[in-house]
Amino acid sequence: METRGSEDLDLLERIRRGDTGGAAELFERYAPALLRFTDRMLSDRASAEEVTQEVFVKVISRAHQYDGRAGVASWLFAIAANACRDRRRRDRRATVVPLEAVAEPTARGEGIESVIASRQRRQAVRQALSELSEEQREALVLARYHGMPYAEIAEMLGISVGAVKTRIFRAVETLKAHFSEGESWTAAT
Amino acid sequence: MDCRDVTTIALDRLAGEADEASRRELSAHLAGCEACRREMARLEDLWTVLGTDPDAEVSTEFRRRSLDLMEQETLRRRVREFRPKRRFASPLLQAAALLAAGSLGYLVARGLPSGRASAPAAAPSASIAPAAATRLPDLTASPRLSNVAYREADPEGRVGIEFDVTTRQTIVGRPEEPEVAKLLAYMVSRSADTAGERSRAIALVSEHYGAGSATASPEIVAALSATLRKDSNPGVRKKAADALASFTMTPEIRTVFLEALSSDKNPAVRLAAVDALAAAAKQSPDARTIESLREKAVDPQENGFVRAKAASALKAISF
Repeated sequence: METRGSEDLDLLERIRRGDTGGAAELFERYAPALLRFTDRMLSDRASAEEVTQEVFVKVISRAHQYDGRAGVASWLFAIAANACRDRRRRDRRATVVPLEAVAEPTARGEGIESVIASRQRRQAVRQALSELSEEQREALVLARYHGMPYAEIAEMLGISVGAVKTRIFRAVETLKAHFSEGESWTAAT
Repeated sequence: MDCRDVTTIALDRLAGEADEASRRELSAHLAGCEACRREMARLEDLWTVLGTDPDAEVSTEFRRRSLDLMEQETLRRRVREFRPKRRFASPLLQAAALLAAGSLGYLVARGLPSGRASAPAAAPSASIAPAAATRLPDLTASPRLSNVAYREADPEGRVGIEFDVTTRQTIVGRPEEPEVAKLLAYMVSRSADTAGERSRAIALVSEHYGAGSATASPEIVAALSATLRKDSNPGVRKKAADALASFTMTPEIRTVFLEALSSDKNPAVRLAAVDALAAAAKQSPDARTIESLREKAVDPQENGFVRAKAASALKAISF
């Protein structure tokens, strides 16, 4: 972990110096996780890709502002969380493009039944996640899908560990209510 | 441990945050409490269900586009670093220069015959050069405006647009001022090379024109219409559609939305067109709009969501 942290700092230093290779390496290292995060926060693949790109462009222009108080990964997620909030605010007036409208790449060799089942699962979970407030969703997604410790989430979102726990607790209560109102949640599996 | 604490500690355990003592305490409680065992099982199920949501994966195309964009941004910043330093950059040096010029003017004036000395002394006050250019450069030759940066509106509502053309220039003014509107239209339509730059220009347009803001000039409408018709990037086209949708519907805007609905390759853009057309048709039903929505609602080749949206839009329009 320590090595990864120091490698991240080296990459940021290279980005500060204008090394395009440094930016590309940082992308390879963090784009998959950031895309997963933005995709779950925005529920729209096209917007998630745009916001993830924005994060890396911001990193290039703000690399000199990184103060080392949080880890590079937390800093990137914090930029991504802010960018998602901005995007949702901006899109409030505009049409929200639902999942169905954007074709999702299908993995080669996947059977049609498995593709359908995967899409149904995705829609059931995304529908449930969409009922959470932005704050609850951020905390839950970071804890559940990114395995981020509460203390790191708290630092990233600028809140206390207690507040992180409260947001996750409330998110889970909302999800429980959602699944008990509709079909059994095992139907989503 | 109380039954009321179980959910919190169970969540800590699922998130890998519970310490050894809490885990032991939870296990001991669960062993003797049937209701809490059910609650624990329910939480575990929920946690598992959430985990079945497949992760988005970085596609080759997304990787390529992103790396291109990042390379452009890195190169752009490199160029910026080599910008020549301004002379008299320090405020102290500027103040000293002004003082020296003023003193010299005073001494010269004292040395002149009295009739001339009393003439209005325009030179010293005019020697304070404007901090930034405020004239729009000649855009007829389609100059490339690079390193574009936007300043947020000041208390008087004036936004700032900075760019390099031959030198660094800044245009400051309210969005409804013709020069600002003309420059923004130019940024949207002709100046920007990358989708990111075009998107930023459109975002600024969306922020300052449309419902409750300044009225967009015909140039801005034309620039956004051209972007919606021709831009190669679907994200940029959708942004242009969203920006146009916030303006009052005109025959020109309606035409561009009808074209987008009929021929844009991206379903998200077609959806934006359906929404904009339907919203306008609710206020004032239009035969072409209704016909186009009908065609979409029954088109078997169309994306299911666009089809459904067109059908529900038709229901909401009173003929």
